[in-house]
Amino acid sequence: MKGKSVYKIPNGKLLKIFLDYDQQTKCINTVQITGDFFMHPEEAIELLEQELQQVVLNETILRETIESIITKHHVQCIGLDAEGLSRGIMMCVL
Amino acid sequence: MNEEWRVLNSGFHNAFTNMAIDEAILREVSEGKVPPTVRFYSWKPRAISLGYFQSLHEEVDLEQCQRHGVDVVRRITGGGAVFHDQELTYSIVVSESHREIPKNIMKSYQRICGAVIKGLRHLDIKGVYAPINDILVDGRKISGNAQTRKQGTVLQHGTILMDVDVDTMFSLLKVPNEKLKDKLITDVKQRVTSLQHILGKPIPYEQVASAMKDGFEEEFDVSLVEGTLTENELILAHEIERKRFSQPAWNQKK
Repeated sequence: MKGKSVYKIPNGKLLKIFLDYDQQTKCINTVQITGDFFMHPEEAIELLEQELQQVVLNETILRETIESIITKHHVQCIGLDAEGLSRGIMMCVL
Repeated sequence: MNEEWRVLNSGFHNAFTNMAIDEAILREVSEGKVPPTVRFYSWKPRAISLGYFQSLHEEVDLEQCQRHGVDVVRRITGGGAVFHDQELTYSIVVSESHREIPKNIMKSYQRICGAVIKGLRHLDIKGVYAPINDILVDGRKISGNAQTRKQGTVLQHGTILMDVDVDTMFSLLKVPNEKLKDKLITDVKQRVTSLQHILGKPIPYEQVASAMKDGFEEEFDVSLVEGTLTENELILAHEIERKRFSQPAWNQKK
C-alpha cells in the first residue's frame, strides 16, 4: 500500500513523505523523506530511510526509533525533528 | 594586519558549473591548499537549484523549465528550491575550526548572514536575520541561505535578490495545491522583495558584489584578496560537474 503526506512542521520546514507499507503487518516497506529541511551530514537521510524499513507504523515507536537513529549517528536536524517526522509518516496512512 | 582570505568574482556560469565550483573550493579548502574563500557569481542560463532533500518531480515543472531554457540542478546543501534569475549569489568556504566560525550550525548561519546584512548596509538597506536561513528587509525576504559541513569545512551559499519575477518563478515551480496557486503567488509577492524594489531603480551586479565584499571583510575582520581558481580547482570542478551535477542520477535521485 502506498501513501503520501505533506506536513509543515510547526516552527520548521515542509515535509513531503512517500511511504510504501504492508497493510497487514502495518510495517514500513520503504519510506522516502523529502522537503526543504536541513540535516547534517546530509547523507544520513539515506541511513534514516533504510533503518525505518520494517518499523511498525505507530507514532510513538516511530518517534523513539528516529530519536535513537539521530542520537546513534550524531545527526543534526534543522527545521525537522523526530516528532514532526513521525507525525508526517503517520499522516501517510491516516 | 588582517588575515587574508581569497575572493573570487567568477561571473556567470551554468548551474552545473556553479555547483561544481563551490564543491571544488570546499575540497581544496579542506586540504589547506587554498585560503578561506568568498565567491560571488550568477547564473546563465537562469536555473532552479533544488535542496538536497527535495523531490525533483514534486517541486519542479520540468517541461516548463525546458520551454524557458531554465536548467535544474540539485545542491549538496539542504533547504528549498530557488529560481536563480536576477540575483547575486555568494558562497563562503572556510574551515569549521576557524576562530570566526561558530561550531553551532545555527549560530554560524547567523554569523555568515551577518556579513550579507553588513553588505546590504553599504547599499543603505537595513536587513535582519530571520532564522532558520533567511534575511529580511521590512519583513520581506531578500536572501535565502543554505549550509553544509563536509571534511571539517563549512560551505554556505546564498542569494541576494536584485529583482524578482514571481510569476515566472511559479510557472517553473510546482505548488502543493493548484487551486490555491493564485493566492500563493499574491502571498509570495508580498513576502519577497529585491534590491530594485527597495531602491526604486536597478542596481549593477558589480555594485552589489562590491558591497558584499565589504560586508564579508567587516564581519570576519579579514582582507579579501582578489584571486582566481587554481589549476587543481578547475580540474576538480570539471570532474565534479561531469560526474555529479550534470548527471540525471544525481538530479533525479529523489
